[in-house]
Amino acid sequence: MSYINIDAQAQNTYDAIVIGSGISGGWAAKELTGKGLRTLVLERGRDVRHVTDYPSTNMQPWEFEHRNQLKREVREANPIISKCYAFYEGTEQFFVKDAEHPYVQDKPFDWIRGYQVGGKSLMWARQTQRWSDFDFDGPARDGFAVDWPIRYADIAPWYSYVEKFAGISGNKDGIATLPDGEFLPPHEWNCVEKHFQKKVAGKYNDRHVIMGRAAHITKPQPIHFQQGRAQCQHRTICERGCPFGGYFSSNSSTIPWAAKTGKMTLRPNSVVHSIIYDEKKGKATGVRIIDADTKQMQEFYARIIFLNAAALNSNLVLLNSTSNRFQNGLGNDSGVLGKYAAFHNYRAGVSGEYDGDLDSTTDGRRPNSPYIPRFRNVHKQEMGFLRGYAAGFSAGRISRSDQSGVGADLKESLLNPKLGGWHVGSHMMGETIPKETNYLALDPNLKDPFGIPQLKISIAYDDNDDKMVKDYQEQLTEMFTEAGFTNIRVRDSHASPGLDIHEMGGVRMGKDPKTSMLNKWNQLHAVKNVFVTDGACMTSTSTQNPSLTYMALTARAADYAVKEMKKGNM
Amino acid sequence: MAGAVGGLISLPAWANGWTADTVRSTPQLLSRSQDGLLAELVETIIPATDTPGAKGLNVHQFVQKMITDCYPVTAQNTLRNGLDSLDGLAKTAYGNSFAGGDAAQRTALLTQLSQSTDAGQKEFYSLVKGLTVRGYMSSEYVMTNLTHYQFIPGHYYGCVPVAQKNQKTTSQGK
Repeated sequence: MSYINIDAQAQNTYDAIVIGSGISGGWAAKELTGKGLRTLVLERGRDVRHVTDYPSTNMQPWEFEHRNQLKREVREANPIISKCYAFYEGTEQFFVKDAEHPYVQDKPFDWIRGYQVGGKSLMWARQTQRWSDFDFDGPARDGFAVDWPIRYADIAPWYSYVEKFAGISGNKDGIATLPDGEFLPPHEWNCVEKHFQKKVAGKYNDRHVIMGRAAHITKPQPIHFQQGRAQCQHRTICERGCPFGGYFSSNSSTIPWAAKTGKMTLRPNSVVHSIIYDEKKGKATGVRIIDADTKQMQEFYARIIFLNAAALNSNLVLLNSTSNRFQNGLGNDSGVLGKYAAFHNYRAGVSGEYDGDLDSTTDGRRPNSPYIPRFRNVHKQEMGFLRGYAAGFSAGRISRSDQSGVGADLKESLLNPKLGGWHVGSHMMGETIPKETNYLALDPNLKDPFGIPQLKISIAYDDNDDKMVKDYQEQLTEMFTEAGFTNIRVRDSHASPGLDIHEMGGVRMGKDPKTSMLNKWNQLHAVKNVFVTDGACMTSTSTQNPSLTYMALTARAADYAVKEMKKGNM
Repeated sequence: MAGAVGGLISLPAWANGWTADTVRSTPQLLSRSQDGLLAELVETIIPATDTPGAKGLNVHQFVQKMITDCYPVTAQNTLRNGLDSLDGLAKTAYGNSFAGGDAAQRTALLTQLSQSTDAGQKEFYSLVKGLTVRGYMSSEYVMTNLTHYQFIPGHYYGCVPVAQKNQKTTSQGK
């Protein structure tokens, strides 16, 4: 008997286990297999293979039964996910339905998830802005959360490393708050966006309008061809999956790259229950999963574990990984696990019109837009609120036709639309302050369909966020006015946290094990062979779209982990 | 456009497009005669000229599909009741069934409906008209042949003189 058990155990043993195959898990898989580690990648959802599992990617608009509108029954059964802008007839297959994985909204929170190989990297918005020291310095300077254990210099080479492979388009703008990267050519501006850029530069020394840096291959390099990826074709239906690999996703890039090493075992339909901790060895020895098909629990073993389940689920896994040594969750000596969760404030927007540049228009489509880096509280605290916001901006013209008539006149009018004037718009991306009162916990009673405790999410805006919304609306209105835009309207959607899909924290990095979960290498202070490199690790949120930072932190941590293994320290 | 990038995007079997058969609603929302009447109605809104009209493009089936699957359940009654009252209104207006009127008579009746003070009639009219315009404009025929939809633009040019663009394409087709 024991012989058989040892055999089975050996069969289920790897050098490394990666939990999750989304944007950071894919990078962990690529880096660890690339360094020769036999790596098991556990994914709770189904497999999604590049191209062949993108059923709607080549469908023309008229081929959708409901022209991409959601069916009534889908909308009614899924009030949460139906709020997400990217959830429509052509993308339903990539989003978690509300009943699939229930959670407790202690306060209203729209949890948007993608359970499949590739995770949300299939449907993400592809904005990839670097952090600077103005971001990493934030908590220490302004006295919230805890000091980041790293600075820009620690991560800069890793930004470069992941950017070259992923393919990031952008312009070298030379702005200290938003460092330049390894860019492919930037997307084009239209005339009104250029006009706005010039007007803003003329009035403000410290405000810049730049082209967003985005994970689109505008000019493929040999490294992209080696991945089987080609130039972005400007279809702007990215969230259906891209047959060209024109934008970066785990499915088009890191996962097939890891597979090519022959070192990766990808196991879909594997719902992680917990990480196994061995008290005698003083480290984690493996992972317990529930097979989504058989509902059987199974164990896998490895020397190191990368936890990349996406921010909230990584919290859930650690909270559910209890032992005598760690009764409140793995590595949770400090008691901060699940606390200091934060997100980005996307509530507000500003729109307007412009009656200049009417002799020019645009041609084609652009999967990107200009970006305004944070300009508030950058060099010192100067506003009545902490931190600040970045903003998106874009301008465009649409053709419209008079639809008032009936008959041949209506038909004639529909087929001869008139080019309208310019519309301009902006949305805010505000930093929220991680607080102990914004937390995640296990519900003591409710379980999900796999018998795992449901996650209780208790996250809300505060007064700082409201003040920031007001300032954003005022400042963008002023900037729009300066540019001669008219009919300026501000909005505040009052949407619940979550729809930003930038949830972060709960397993924060820090210098002191008494106040943080992870050290500067994303290693659990108390369990050194467990690394958390997704959004859960974020000490603060700053304003940048976070995925690029997760990629860089993951590659950096994987490099460190393998070096430590070779030194015999794991 | 598809040819320019070769076999990569050849259409797989699951992307055959909507046809009269695939968009037929099940279970049937309308009786055969209501269905025929709706076909005449959408054809009156967007008639055949030197190009097909809404009926020829099966837009009446699209209208039923959307109301059955996507709209609030109440819209189903709005559609049925509206259709059932249409012949009566036509009798009053021009002494014939709706389908029996000529184009001018039918168009005049619809104009009258659009200005109706009866909430149900007005709602029926704007429901059917809105979906007719949408179904027509997003039909394969119109997007391919008339508005020249570009599935794969392959570029974004930011500053194009309007005059130059008008020369290049008759319309952008979005």
